[in-house]
Amino acid sequence: MTSKEQEPLQLLQGTLDLIVLRTLVSMGAQHAYQIATRLQQISDSLLNLNQGTLYPALVRLEQYGWIKGAWGKTENNREAKYYEITKAGQKALGEETQKWRRMAALVERVLIEES
Amino acid sequence: MKHLRRFLMRFARVFTNSRAEADLEREIAAHLRLLEDEYLSQGMTPEEARRAARRAYGGVEQAKQLHRNERSYQGVTQTIQDIRYTLRQLRKSPGFTVTAILMLALGIGATTAIFSIFVGVLLRPLPFPDPDRLVAVGDILEGSGSAFRDQSRVTAPDIRNYMRDTRSFSNLGGYQGMGFELSGIGDPTAVQATRMSGEVFAALRVAPLVGRAFTQEEDEQHQPVAVLSYGMWRNRFQGDAEILGRKILLDRKPYTVIGVMPQNFEFPLMPGHLNHSELWVPLSLSPEEFMAGSAAAWSLRMIGRLRPGISKEQAHSDAERVAEETMRNYPAFMRSLRIHAVVTPLHEDTVEQARPLVRTLFLAVVVILLIACANLAGLLLVRSIRRRKEIAVRLALGARAATLLRQAIVESLVLSVAGGAVGLALAAVALRVGVSLLPETLPRIREIGLDWPVVGFALGLALLTGLVCGLAPAFAAIRTSVNETLKDSGRTGTSGSGHARLRSALVVTEIAVALVLLTASGLLLRSFERMRSVDIGFRPDHTLAAFYVLPEKQYASQTVIDAFSDELLRDLRQLPGVEAAGITSLLPAAGNDFGLAFTLEGYVPPKGAGLNMAAMSLVQGDPLQALGIRLLRGRLFTEADKAGSPLVAIVNRKLAQHYWPDQDPIGKRLRRGMPETATPWMTVVGEVDDVKLGSPDGETAQQVYQPVTQMVASEGVFASAGELSANYGYIVLRSVLPPEQMENLLRATVRKIDPQLPLHQMQTMEHAISGSEAPRRFNTVLISSFAVVAVLLSVLGIYSIIAFAAALREQEMALRMALGCQRSGVLTLILTSGMKLAAVGCVLGLIGAMAASRLLRSFLFGVSPFDPVVLTLSAVAMLVLALTACALPARRAARTDPMVALRGE
Repeated sequence: MTSKEQEPLQLLQGTLDLIVLRTLVSMGAQHAYQIATRLQQISDSLLNLNQGTLYPALVRLEQYGWIKGAWGKTENNREAKYYEITKAGQKALGEETQKWRRMAALVERVLIEES
Repeated sequence: MKHLRRFLMRFARVFTNSRAEADLEREIAAHLRLLEDEYLSQGMTPEEARRAARRAYGGVEQAKQLHRNERSYQGVTQTIQDIRYTLRQLRKSPGFTVTAILMLALGIGATTAIFSIFVGVLLRPLPFPDPDRLVAVGDILEGSGSAFRDQSRVTAPDIRNYMRDTRSFSNLGGYQGMGFELSGIGDPTAVQATRMSGEVFAALRVAPLVGRAFTQEEDEQHQPVAVLSYGMWRNRFQGDAEILGRKILLDRKPYTVIGVMPQNFEFPLMPGHLNHSELWVPLSLSPEEFMAGSAAAWSLRMIGRLRPGISKEQAHSDAERVAEETMRNYPAFMRSLRIHAVVTPLHEDTVEQARPLVRTLFLAVVVILLIACANLAGLLLVRSIRRRKEIAVRLALGARAATLLRQAIVESLVLSVAGGAVGLALAAVALRVGVSLLPETLPRIREIGLDWPVVGFALGLALLTGLVCGLAPAFAAIRTSVNETLKDSGRTGTSGSGHARLRSALVVTEIAVALVLLTASGLLLRSFERMRSVDIGFRPDHTLAAFYVLPEKQYASQTVIDAFSDELLRDLRQLPGVEAAGITSLLPAAGNDFGLAFTLEGYVPPKGAGLNMAAMSLVQGDPLQALGIRLLRGRLFTEADKAGSPLVAIVNRKLAQHYWPDQDPIGKRLRRGMPETATPWMTVVGEVDDVKLGSPDGETAQQVYQPVTQMVASEGVFASAGELSANYGYIVLRSVLPPEQMENLLRATVRKIDPQLPLHQMQTMEHAISGSEAPRRFNTVLISSFAVVAVLLSVLGIYSIIAFAAALREQEMALRMALGCQRSGVLTLILTSGMKLAAVGCVLGLIGAMAASRLLRSFLFGVSPFDPVVLTLSAVAMLVLALTACALPARRAARTDPMVALRGE
């Protein structure tokens, strides 16, 4: 049982977007590397994904108008592209969170009935 | 919302791809550097840190690709890359590019111009609301031959009966075109007008721009009201805002203007540029029109709007019922007449006669487009063969076939769209210049123009052309065998032979379709020549003609009219240089022949024969002498043939030979009307030569001439009370002076007698003839110029293919010469290969020409569509041109220095 739990999780469709938005809300403007690090932290390295896979989500969210990217400097004076959540992004996060909660509750209920 | 935004962004990214790419590159580099910094700080060596960073990041190229897919539409991006690539390639070979684009521009431009005529004349709905419900209603008179010109006509009593007794029409009314003398505003002029029932406006459902239209009640109460056309209001009344209620004089009778129609309103829809109605007045049928003579004059037309839910067939049986009732009530003298009611959709009624011409033009122009396409396909094919090596290398390096296919099609699409754009511009210019040259037989000319459907058609045509032309070379390109091509270094002889069959097929097709057009043009030219050599029966030189109508108001009695005519003829004869002067009701070459029924003494019509129709010319003075019509037998009219003296007539040869073959017509008798019509006999005193009343290629009518002074008497009891004669006619004048000088003299003479009377259609007879020849000239010129273009294009096609084939075979030729082949042998070899193609093309073309003959037959005159001279000449001309096209590359090949060529590769 334990060995199975150790296997990396596959991300569900749309959850990556949600996580990125959430991260940006709680941490403020972040660059891709920070977001990736944060993802690993909060998932206790369960989500072992290549950092490059983050990019499509970033471009998608930017095109939705939910986040906005701008070039800046890190504390070590390295350049990096910082992403910031927009007003529309915050609103969308609220809606998406609601949706996700309802979905999760539904799945939970189904699983309880099954067992 | 978010999806729309994303769609727009992704689409926009297509065009800012390189910037996004650079940005991504920069972001990934920054990311990797941050990762490296992290690993360095954990104590790794720089080398280890870099590798660890890469590992943590994952595949850089994969991430980029994912980013690209997410960021924009990749298909579009690639297509744009292909287009840029194509543009670069095309810039490198400007000769090819310009040739291809111009060729396509010509094909697409010509097709678009003709298509816009096709749409404007044949396809576009009539400019009235709900036009499908509008129908022409009327009679076809049995035995009247072609006198009705395929359009139904009605008599005055018919209008009353159909309007009163049919149930299938929500509105139904009659109308008739007529000329008026307009005065009371500026100089008196002649205007084209239409008198029509109030119901016609209701049927057309077009609201006046200003004021109102007249009603059926006003029509029946004979109210003198008039509705003006927009052009009339603008030009003659300077767009007067106070136009309503103004009085105008029509034939010197006062009418009140009650409305102005909108700019695009046109009714009836007449062919040509002239003859458009400039004002409308109530029909107001007069009692005389219901009496004897006029009751049998099918000179009016009817239009109606079908009641909702009623089909054309139901309306037809309804009208047929009324027609039968009408026939039952015919007076004794019309007993033998049989009519049938016809209900034709107005659209068909309007455009039917123009259909064959427009359709033929369209087919001719499609031929040009086909040839242009074949040429383009040929050129592209040659290009792709030239690039075989490049293609083979790309294939060997792993390029996908789909990519090559896409590039080939993109290339031909770029060319064809550019060609389409240039073609559209050409078509716009051609239409601006060309519409005024369209023949008078074409209806709805005002509606011809480049509108969105036409532009869409042109662009669609361009895309289709590009696809079709691109496909052949595209497949030829991907079928390139890498090994063969790369191994084939030329020394083995002829390279690129793989697509020889495709190239030959293209050339053969081009020659075949060009030949079809060439024979068509040859046949039309010969028809034109035949028409020019027709004996028109009169001498048009030094003759001037002009038409007049005496207004009823001033010329109310026969005495006043006769006084005018006598004074006019006397004064005209005294003019310097005048040889003969006269007045006639029918002018040769003017095309206004009007059939009357006659009964001829001693002629028993065969069973089932129709009416004996002949064209009646009413004459005074010496119009026959003035026109130079030859007298064959007997005598012309003299001063002694006047009212009260014995009734006389002159007939033409055609009539005499038809009714009294091999007999002397002098002394025979004929009378107006049918056998049961009691009219007095007229004695034939002379026989004259046949005269063409319409165009020289038209039918010759049977003709009767009568002194106008005897007209009323010859109508016997059917003449209406107080009927006036001689109140209109064509003045004809023959003089030794040039007719242009006579114009002013004629005007001055008429003005001296009646200063207000306008003269219409003043023209020399030579001009009248050239006008009557115009429709045929138009067909001939247009089809011939299409044929010239087609032939030039196909010669260009055969030249480029043969030249290319010769260039490919250069090494082979050099080898042959090195082995002892004479230069003449090489010449013959190349020429033969070209001539074989040309010969096959000619045979196919001749078969095609014969197949197309049925289409062309109606346009020919005096020539069989299988005319051996024309067929042979066209085929020979095509072969000679093809030979010339091959001669150039053949001579070049023969001049090859074998040593240079063999060392070449």
